[in-house]
Amino acid sequence: MSAEGRFRFVGVRVGRKDGVLKATGRATYAYDVWLPGMLHGRILKSPYAHAEVRVDATEAERMGAVVLTPRDVPDVLFNPRLVSVEEDTFKDWRVLTDHPRYVGEPVAAVAAASEEAAQRALEAVRLEPVRVYRPLLDPFEATRPGSPAIHERVMRGGAWVDVEDNVACTLEYSEGDVDRALSEADVVIERRFHTNRRYHLQPEPKVAVSRPDPDGGVTVWTTTQTVHNTKILISQVFGIPQSKVRVKKVFLGGGFGSSIHTNLVTLVAVALSRKARRPVRMALTREEDMMHDHVSFEMHMRIRAGAKRNGRLSGAEFENVMDIGAHQIQPYPLLGTALGWFVSLYKWGAIRYFGRAVYTNKVPSCALRGYGNPQVTWAVETVVDELAEELEMDPVEFRLKNYVGKGDLFWGQGPTVKSIIRSDGVPELMRRGAELIGWRNRPRPGEQTGRYRRGIGVARGFHTSGAGGPLSGSVIDYSGAFLKVNEDGSVDYVTALQDHGGGTLDAHAKIIAEELCIPLEKVNVVWSDSSTTVYDVCTHASRGVYVGGEAARRAAREVKRKILEYAVRILNVAVGPEALRMRYDEELKDAVIYVEGSDAQTTLSEVARTAWQRNWGSISASVSFRATAAPPSFTAYFVEVEVDTETGRVRPVRVVAGADIGTVINPELAEGQVQGGFVMGWGWAVLEDTPYNPETGALENMGFITDYKVPTAGDIPPIEDFRVIFADTYEPTGPFGAKGIGEAASNPVAAAVANAIYDAIGIRFYELPITPERILRALRERERQGRESAQERGGGLS
Amino acid sequence: MLPEFEYHRPASLEEAVRLLSELGPDAKVIAGGTDLVVKMRAGLVSPRHVVDLSRLTEIRFIRDEGDRLKIGAGTTLWEIENSREVARGVPVLREAVEEMASWHVKTTATIGGNLCNASPAADAAPPLMVHDATLVVVGPEGRREVPIGEFFTGPGQTVLGVGEILAEVVVPKMRRGQGAAFEKLTVREGALSIASAAALVEISGGRFVDARVALGAVAPTPIRALKVERALKGRPATREILRSASREAKADIKPITDVRGSREYREEMSVVLVRRALERAVERAGGAWA
Ligand SMILES: Cc1cc2nc3c(=O)[nH]c(=O)nc-3n(C[C@H](O)[C@H](O)[C@H](O)COP(=O)(O)OP(=O)(O)OC[C@H]3O[C@@H](n4cnc5c(N)ncnc54)[C@H](O)[C@@H]3O)c2cc1C
Repeated sequence: MSAEGRFRFVGVRVGRKDGVLKATGRATYAYDVWLPGMLHGRILKSPYAHAEVRVDATEAERMGAVVLTPRDVPDVLFNPRLVSVEEDTFKDWRVLTDHPRYVGEPVAAVAAASEEAAQRALEAVRLEPVRVYRPLLDPFEATRPGSPAIHERVMRGGAWVDVEDNVACTLEYSEGDVDRALSEADVVIERRFHTNRRYHLQPEPKVAVSRPDPDGGVTVWTTTQTVHNTKILISQVFGIPQSKVRVKKVFLGGGFGSSIHTNLVTLVAVALSRKARRPVRMALTREEDMMHDHVSFEMHMRIRAGAKRNGRLSGAEFENVMDIGAHQIQPYPLLGTALGWFVSLYKWGAIRYFGRAVYTNKVPSCALRGYGNPQVTWAVETVVDELAEELEMDPVEFRLKNYVGKGDLFWGQGPTVKSIIRSDGVPELMRRGAELIGWRNRPRPGEQTGRYRRGIGVARGFHTSGAGGPLSGSVIDYSGAFLKVNEDGSVDYVTALQDHGGGTLDAHAKIIAEELCIPLEKVNVVWSDSSTTVYDVCTHASRGVYVGGEAARRAAREVKRKILEYAVRILNVAVGPEALRMRYDEELKDAVIYVEGSDAQTTLSEVARTAWQRNWGSISASVSFRATAAPPSFTAYFVEVEVDTETGRVRPVRVVAGADIGTVINPELAEGQVQGGFVMGWGWAVLEDTPYNPETGALENMGFITDYKVPTAGDIPPIEDFRVIFADTYEPTGPFGAKGIGEAASNPVAAAVANAIYDAIGIRFYELPITPERILRALRERERQGRESAQERGGGLS
Repeated sequence: MLPEFEYHRPASLEEAVRLLSELGPDAKVIAGGTDLVVKMRAGLVSPRHVVDLSRLTEIRFIRDEGDRLKIGAGTTLWEIENSREVARGVPVLREAVEEMASWHVKTTATIGGNLCNASPAADAAPPLMVHDATLVVVGPEGRREVPIGEFFTGPGQTVLGVGEILAEVVVPKMRRGQGAAFEKLTVREGALSIASAAALVEISGGRFVDARVALGAVAPTPIRALKVERALKGRPATREILRSASREAKADIKPITDVRGSREYREEMSVVLVRRALERAVERAGGAWA
């Protein structure tokens, strides 16, 4: 909803609080942290996709380097991402291993006085293969009997579990009688989908600086989306009390999920610094970051869905096989959320779900902007488009008839996180979007001829705002805030939430300013750490504004209550704090506290000063907040593309992107999220993948962005052909009516693009990315079939 | 990370040649470093010595000499893109450079580096090949001239011997009646070519009196498409002839499958790119279709 006029600070266009710092290069990222006496570390990574190795570091040690081998790290298994409750957390990682399971898995590490010296020492470490296994690069091959076991057993919580056929974990679920529903359906279609395996390409590669402290603890500066979970994991792996693990917040150069977990480099740096008894800094190169650190979940999906002639869906089966790579970064909760993404898009009727996560010898998968949602939405929105066509219904109307919206039970984050939808801008976004793009006059699939063919596609989607709910569930999600009023009436805001660059904390500052009626300049966001903040799970799941922002608002509300209590002492004509009101005064640039219908008034600065001078004490509040809902932010994309049928290249021509994020707190930044979401989604749809060499099991592009292209400004429509519209909604559970945006912004993009390509050339694609080469091959194949059937027809006549 | 090496910065071309001859095959020249450093980071080459040419102003120039243009090997792509002499004399080179890389890269990358790196996908090569450029090489034995068609010997390989440096590129300028064009196919703007093609035609009396076509990224080296050229020369300048001649491109090339594209795709694209380059070249030559 446009907040204009309703609020004083929320919804107003202002410069970014950290803008000057960033533009002048004075923002401190983990990469910029430089400590006296610091050593530099390098990691020796496995050249084998799957092997048992022996490490000989004698030579490196002789050179004076501090060397860390698998024998030197704690014998502890862990999952780098702490988000599920303990009993649902699968653990199969070690800090270093002599049994690497993918090319790039850390085997040893060294630290020396300079990066060069460390590299020299690293090259002197001998790595001897004791046993080399055949790399498994495909989940269906991995589950075949007789394939080498990637893990014999792993831990679930505190107990060992055996891994069978390389299946990491599974989840099954059903509701209603699917077989009957589908047999009674008027149309049923079944499709198989295979997604790409994308790299995050977040602007900042991983960095960690670890300093061992005299009290036996450590202080850590690192690229992370969560200082608290990093603190907890370091504590668990190294057995250090959490009060002695200080994880500092530093600027983060983009996340997209790449630091949703504690990066391995952080744990290696901690281990090295403890052995060296000196600070150690480790910075990954871009190649290392891509080759060895993380990619998105590659999914093989099958959907079988049916509908009645009246346009109602009646049943659906969803099978989801995830190729998770060599280790688990929480694929288990994803098995649940993938189902959540599926069931929360449409009222399928009866459903049956079968999900399994399979180990392969590839770079481990983690969340990437949407945590599987773009993958599922692509499949669902393709199937839904096809069903509409079969039923001869307008795809927009078919969607509106079946979508999950206001008043419906919603469990986007999986079966353990349920709540009712209270705000819903879907009809508005679909209708306005259709009008703006010219939906009615779009070309009919495949009817164009000529070299360039245009098509318009639609897709909708959503993302949850966080993972909260009325029941505790199996996922951890709560936040907190600390706020204090200074002696001049300005405030300091202390939060654990990270700002990945999207402006999350700017939104918090606005929310606080709005609640306290003070100008933005008076809200200072404190650079804090895990010791001085209350727990927040992570800046992920598009919850930064909805959950973190609400925590900030509640802290502000609490502070406000105390301010009014003090104000009564000054304005003693008032009968009590409830008689007081607060408003922002433009001239004073301060909060004015007044009694309605009287001249009695004071200001926040006056209250703060008096409280100090009269020894009344500080005003502050600390809150911990659990959201009891995770409302969906809805998005709807209408995309026009142009296909060059001679080369297969596709170009986006026009975009209408609609977003229902409740109250829009930061209009420019929210628009930026939508535009960025499109660009990222466009790359997933047509460009990005990380193919592996079948023999060596290494990435074909060797980690170089030379052959990992993402779209640039030059690849997207000019801004005047890119319309962003926001729905007029208000989320009653959110801070000033707000919901999240980050992931919703990109979830439906690949689907909309695929549907537009279909509209242009009449061919559907079930494998991503839809590269020029795939398009061309499909066009040629269709021509061939056309010729053959023409011949057959000809033959039949004679 | 970069492997260790010793860095040298000669003050003159003569000193560079001497240094390179002394250091032998363990030494590599660096100009802009936009190819070399990437290869070094990937561990594909690890020279013990790196000889930096970036300070040699004597190989950094663009000179108009009447019917030909001389471009020093150390000239950056950015200088070429912005040169009026190049825009007038060898517009197809400018067109190719315009589509290369990004501004950041082009302000350091040199034309000499693009050629000496000898990537089959070097985008400056096809335009220079259709212009029949000559490369001037300076070495311990003195100067020699090599026609560009004989310069490349394989992927990453050239006729340059130990101690030899590419000093300049001599390009005959476009003449009246000629037209040229460059086509490049990439996965995304500014990326390396999946395939590229340059064409230069001269039309007189409704016939192709000259036709030169070169392709990139579809053979072990950038190559001339001689079969296409033969199918055009002397024939009427019609769209049909141009189309059927373009199809000959398949017989001229030897593409491979790699991360950027399959052999089959490259074959089909070569035909498309050659046709488009030729069509545009004809239009620029005066546009008189027979
Ligand atoms: C992001 C990016 C995008 C790119 N895009 C393109 C593109 O679109 N098209 C394209 O063709 N290329 C592209 N390149 C490759 C590269 O930028 C060009 O090939 C560039 O022209 C190389 O020039 P350089 O001066 O940097 O060469 P260097 O890296 O310095 O040298 C390359 C090789 O040539 C040798 N060498 C250099 N100068 C001489 C000389 N005078 N005599 C003898 N040997 C010499 C070196 O020893 C080395 O082997 C791209 C590179 C990057 C990093």
